[in-house]
Amino acid sequence: MHVVHLALKDLKLLFRNRMAAFFILGFPVMMGLFFGMMMSGMSSGKRGKMEIAVIDQDNSRISARFIEALRKNENINVIADELEHAKESVRKAQRTGLLVIPNGFGETAGFMWELQPEIELGMDPSRSAEGAMLQGFIMQATGELIGERFNHPQDFLPHISKAKEALMTSNTDNLLMKQVGGAFFDSLSHMIESADKWQRQAGTNPDNQPTSMHFANVKSLDISRHIDPSSAEAQTKKIRTRWDISFPQAMLWGVLGSIAGFSASIARERTSGTLVRLQSSPLSRMHIMLGKALACFLAVILVISVMLVIGLFLGMRPTSFTKLAAASGCTAICFVGIMLTISVLGKTEQGVEGVGWSINMVMAMLGGCMIPVMFMPAVFQKLSVFSPIRWSILSIEGAIWRDFSWSELALPFTIMLVVGIVGFGIGTSILVRRTTV
Amino acid sequence: MRVITVCSLEQSYGSLKAVDGVSFEIPRGQTLGLLGPNGAGKSTTIHALIGLLKPDRGEVRVMGGDPWHAETRRSIGIAPQSLSLYEELTGYENLSFFARTFGLSGGRLRDRVGWSLKFAGLEDRARHRVDTYSGGMKRRLNIAVALVHQPSVLLLDEPTVGVDPQSRNHIFESIAELKNEGLTILYTTHYMEEAARLCDRIAIMDRGKLLALDSVAALIRQHGCASQIVAEIESTPSDVQLPGQLIEGRIQFACDRPLEEVARLSALGVQFQSLQIKGPDLESVFLMLTGRSLRD
Repeated sequence: MHVVHLALKDLKLLFRNRMAAFFILGFPVMMGLFFGMMMSGMSSGKRGKMEIAVIDQDNSRISARFIEALRKNENINVIADELEHAKESVRKAQRTGLLVIPNGFGETAGFMWELQPEIELGMDPSRSAEGAMLQGFIMQATGELIGERFNHPQDFLPHISKAKEALMTSNTDNLLMKQVGGAFFDSLSHMIESADKWQRQAGTNPDNQPTSMHFANVKSLDISRHIDPSSAEAQTKKIRTRWDISFPQAMLWGVLGSIAGFSASIARERTSGTLVRLQSSPLSRMHIMLGKALACFLAVILVISVMLVIGLFLGMRPTSFTKLAAASGCTAICFVGIMLTISVLGKTEQGVEGVGWSINMVMAMLGGCMIPVMFMPAVFQKLSVFSPIRWSILSIEGAIWRDFSWSELALPFTIMLVVGIVGFGIGTSILVRRTTV
Repeated sequence: MRVITVCSLEQSYGSLKAVDGVSFEIPRGQTLGLLGPNGAGKSTTIHALIGLLKPDRGEVRVMGGDPWHAETRRSIGIAPQSLSLYEELTGYENLSFFARTFGLSGGRLRDRVGWSLKFAGLEDRARHRVDTYSGGMKRRLNIAVALVHQPSVLLLDEPTVGVDPQSRNHIFESIAELKNEGLTILYTTHYMEEAARLCDRIAIMDRGKLLALDSVAALIRQHGCASQIVAEIESTPSDVQLPGQLIEGRIQFACDRPLEEVARLSALGVQFQSLQIKGPDLESVFLMLTGRSLRD
């Protein structure tokens, strides 16, 4: 009961200090919203469109059909442009890339046996990853041209004539082959003409409209679980809202604000003399430390809960509230231990605050409070394992959008609990020794 | 009954001997003034009395128990020299929080908090935050917090530092009231007149040792030096030798029989414009015992 009273007193003190309250609640909310807005293009359903400048040098029916197929793709915003202007736009990062449809594109595009025309593709170097995606979309649009060719059979006739002529004028002595081949091409031409005639007649009846042919009916599948799960691409595919990344980060900013406030409060108790008064009461030193620890634990849980409520309001939907509660509990235990350790690193309030924020900032930078770990260079990703913040964010994200199993959460949970227990042991033993005159 | 017993207390910090064989007792209802220059060992003695340290040697007993034990500390109230209050909490919240640390709750808690507010004269400011209080109000609250759980022993460490005359007077009257109610008080101060006014006995410490312990009158009797005469001289016959140096018509000197000395000088023709005879007091005893050299 004494411990609860001590904790409630500390929480009251913390939230009556406007600056401390701002750093615990106001600042993290601001960070969450700010980074969330910055990451607005990351959620899978709301990815920003690629702005592609298209230079049509062919101006044929087939090139128009190809552009139309590209326009139908919801990932691409096609803008007709001139070559030089398009290059300049890409250089200035005003367009994602440019696509040049060469002269003669309409003659052979869509005929699988012909050499395909060379489409030129230029990408903004900073968005080269999207180039591969765009190549896929080009293939898809080209596939539709094959269907287009079958919808217009007469397009085949010049090619058949050309093939027959090539056979007849060839130097071969095999007359039988020339006769059979010629007859085959004639029959083929006749069949295509008949089919074309029939298709035009049938076209007057709406029920007999020719069905459009497609190279492939491509349906997108989420295969992110089968690719390297540690890759940023794989991870970002799971993100459903812009807040999925920014709010776990913001929660940790609140947690850091809490531990900074509480670690300084222990030094303040010492310098103001209230610690002497507490120690001269029947309370044991362990009571006093547990009171601080409980207050910090509750503050951390409160911060995470408030951020969660705001996140839910904005559309964030945790995959498991139970796992999120467990992650929050482990986070709180971990940072209570860190708070107690930080509180013994200085003798005055200012000293503890200075040391505390220095440690917090390093942990925050390495742990992914500023830049998510998955977007960090490889060396920093490796270093981040030393920051408890990384494990805390990972576990919270695991419960919010990574859809971690309990076994996947076991490692971050264990690390956080160990850090918390060790920190509690170090902090408490030094504090007890120091407060014993 | 002896409420406080300190027997051969010794405490060292490294090579520094902070307290060196200090012994004293305080019977129930008595007020003992603990005087000493900075570094005398007063704070260490108080820390031993509230269970903040386990002494290297010797024994400390409060109400017959070891203050290291929580139960013994229930009977002790301390008003530290620094204002040991939570400034962001109200006066009421401070009192009720510290009362709870001593296990008070419910009606008893309300009664004691109400009594303490009245004692400190803060009833109308009870719901205001402490950081809006004046220095005197904070000092009064600091003492009230020490009393909220109704202790048998009150330790007051420099309770009047930095307060206005009105608050100081309020504190004196309150302490006198507590004495009349039979509370045992240990009072440390640098103000000699406070100690002389409030304390039944005075203990003078220096460099970790207890130099003297007795009533004020007895200390003056035992250790008081000569009286001081301060006079403004109007005229002096040229053949009369004055007992001190005359500077700008003013003379100051010490003597054991001041009235006889004044009569002698007057008979020799010395004419006084003003005359002040100052008898030995606690301050002179203190300076005599602890010396006049400056301390850290």
